[in-house]
Amino acid sequence: MEAPKFERGTSLSIFVSDRREDFSALIFAFAIAFGVMLLA
Amino acid sequence: MVYTVKSPALLIIGILMMAWGWLNASGNIDGIQSSLQASAYKDHLKVKEKFDAELAVATELAKAEGKPAPDMKMPASHFDSAKATQTHMSYYFGGAFVLIGLITLMWKPTEGSLDYFISIVPGIAFILAIAFIVRWGLDPIFGNWGKAAAPTLGWDFAKIFNLNYVVIGIVIGMVIVNVFKIPAWAANGVRTARFFLKTGVILLGTLYSAAELAQLGALSVVMIGIFVLGSVGLVLFMGKRMGSNNSMTAVLSAGMGVCGVSATVAASPVVQAKAEEIAYTIGTILIWGVGCMFLFPTVGHILGMGPVQFGAWAGTGILNSAQVAGAALAFDPKGIETLKVAEIFNITRVLFLPIIVLWLAAWYVKHEEGAEKVNLAQVVVAKFPVFVLGFIAMFALSSAGMFAPAGHYKGKYFSSTEIKEEKLLKGKETKAIEAELTRLREGEGAQAFSKYLADKNVVLEGHKVTADEAYKAMSDLVANKKLSTRQQDSILESVAKLEGLDALAKGSIEKAHKNAYHTSKNIKSYRNWIAWLFAFGLIGLGMQITGKALKQAGGKPLIIGGVVGTLKAVGSLVVVLLFVKEFI
Amino acid sequence: MLNTQIILLGHHGTEGAKLAEKLAFDVAVPQQTLIVHLLVVPDLWEGMQGDDWLNNASTRDTFGRYVEGLLEKDAAAQLSALEARCTERNLAYKSIVLVGDPTECFVKTALQEQATLALIGSPRPKGILGYRSGIKLDALVRQLKIPLLIANTAS
Repeated sequence: MEAPKFERGTSLSIFVSDRREDFSALIFAFAIAFGVMLLA
Repeated sequence: MVYTVKSPALLIIGILMMAWGWLNASGNIDGIQSSLQASAYKDHLKVKEKFDAELAVATELAKAEGKPAPDMKMPASHFDSAKATQTHMSYYFGGAFVLIGLITLMWKPTEGSLDYFISIVPGIAFILAIAFIVRWGLDPIFGNWGKAAAPTLGWDFAKIFNLNYVVIGIVIGMVIVNVFKIPAWAANGVRTARFFLKTGVILLGTLYSAAELAQLGALSVVMIGIFVLGSVGLVLFMGKRMGSNNSMTAVLSAGMGVCGVSATVAASPVVQAKAEEIAYTIGTILIWGVGCMFLFPTVGHILGMGPVQFGAWAGTGILNSAQVAGAALAFDPKGIETLKVAEIFNITRVLFLPIIVLWLAAWYVKHEEGAEKVNLAQVVVAKFPVFVLGFIAMFALSSAGMFAPAGHYKGKYFSSTEIKEEKLLKGKETKAIEAELTRLREGEGAQAFSKYLADKNVVLEGHKVTADEAYKAMSDLVANKKLSTRQQDSILESVAKLEGLDALAKGSIEKAHKNAYHTSKNIKSYRNWIAWLFAFGLIGLGMQITGKALKQAGGKPLIIGGVVGTLKAVGSLVVVLLFVKEFI
Repeated sequence: MLNTQIILLGHHGTEGAKLAEKLAFDVAVPQQTLIVHLLVVPDLWEGMQGDDWLNNASTRDTFGRYVEGLLEKDAAAQLSALEARCTERNLAYKSIVLVGDPTECFVKTALQEQATLALIGSPRPKGILGYRSGIKLDALVRQLKIPLLIANTAS
């Protein structure tokens, strides 16, 4: 009915699927964790 | 489609951020910052006073010896480091935003991933700019006002009403979406809020010990088991008595019981709810959740609850998981302790969601003819949130000592070897302890001491601490002028509480305890990251709360939801106050 | 004399809308009047997608499809029913379905379709349940450039 506003992702997420959002969040969290460790 | 919106907004945000960084670095706004960061500024004055005195002495000495005045550098105070943090963050993010802002203005975007990811940046900049304003500006301003008004009011309104960065951030998000609408150039990027929240939850996994996780996990399973299943059952019962539709009763019970809107969203198609029922139910749950998010922390402060108590209460009583996180951080914005507890409850509750959906499906099939049967395995797989596994993975790695040595997870850790020379106990302090040691070794003192240890039931590593062990700990402390082991530290902690102990000896033991604990830099950074990630995510969350949706609350769902929600909130509060102790 | 060439009728099956429909048939001239039926799906649904981050995409998509299906079915039923009643009375019929704020959509459509007369039902009396997303009369009256008829219980 309504034209899709976002071809990719949903109105709540920039990712195509939740699984991908979860994995990206995991990778980002690891990046922060290791980044902090290396810089400290 | 092309997502990038040509707008100078990103460039302007970037320039403003860099300007703020420069103002901080150059010291032009030290006047403003000294009132915003009042306590850090006090430390700054102290450090400066000490430094000035030292410099004066050194200059005198040099003069007497005929040497030129010494070149000394003032050590960095908390104030300096707070300003440096703001400068760095403003420069890094502002610089990146200026760069990407220029690119968006000059570049002609074509459809593709590059366009997509660049179009996300302005929205991120938008929320981050709000987060900066809230954390560095409004939060301290309200704090100062609260303190200033406290003598007249008799209480600190900023503290009681939690006018900290979390609450202000959510409110600003709500105002933007309901009053001004989210600008088109930011629309694509504000959707990153949930991603950053998830990252925050996963990163939170670094801050638990196995024992903590086990204790909190057990507590959360008990509390959530009782209250979630209880409220689902109660809604089903009340709905039947009040003659509601089966489908409406079912979606409402899912919402009031488990995770609010997520549960309603999950249950609606299963029980074939009607559009209007969904609207009433989601409206009811949203308004209830938003109300709780602002009310709970205030009640928590008035009742003087601790982090474990409040986290457990919020995690059980509040419906939407993001609102639980919001309430926990609003209650305790400086530490992560409450959030840590609440998040475990959140995760437990998510794990309950498939069970509830299955229960409702079975209930609906029983009460409604012609309803479809539900595939159990499919529901469980579809509803399982993978990022919970990420949290567990992070926890496993960090308890294996990957990111910080084991024992650092609390942010403070014991180390005898890292105690600096100037932090050792002074002569008169060790003498005071020695005097007490002699007194406690003989006659009446010894008897009273043994009785005290036995009565207090001081237990360490499974056995009762004997008087001899306590004597050894005291004499070791006297000999080394510092604590040597963690075990002795906990023994002496009990000794310091002995009635009639000499005040100086008591103070000295406490001082030694304080000096033996150090801040873990890594853990401190993790906490900072988590606080920023959650602040960002919660501002984005505020932008998803629309008045139009809240207004739909009404009808029987509002009555049933109100009754069950209140019972759940009050019931869990009573249980928490009676049975949950600050045991961690 | 009222110009009833193109009547814009806001109609979503509520009690007020039924009265508006009746009034429209009273003032319409068979074989002359075109009835433009505007059905607005309120944008409140945009705030009801589950603000929660523990929802996963498959759940949300299922929900979205489900709600869309419900709304579409409802809209289709409304449209075909009114179309049938118009044909019965020899009135030309045109339907427009929009998603958004009811007031804004109404004003926009009136202009677009060059309606000569606008017709809506009276606001829902207190105590009767329904979406809280009705037309804001004040804003509508200010922006609308054509005569507006409001059907009331008394008519």
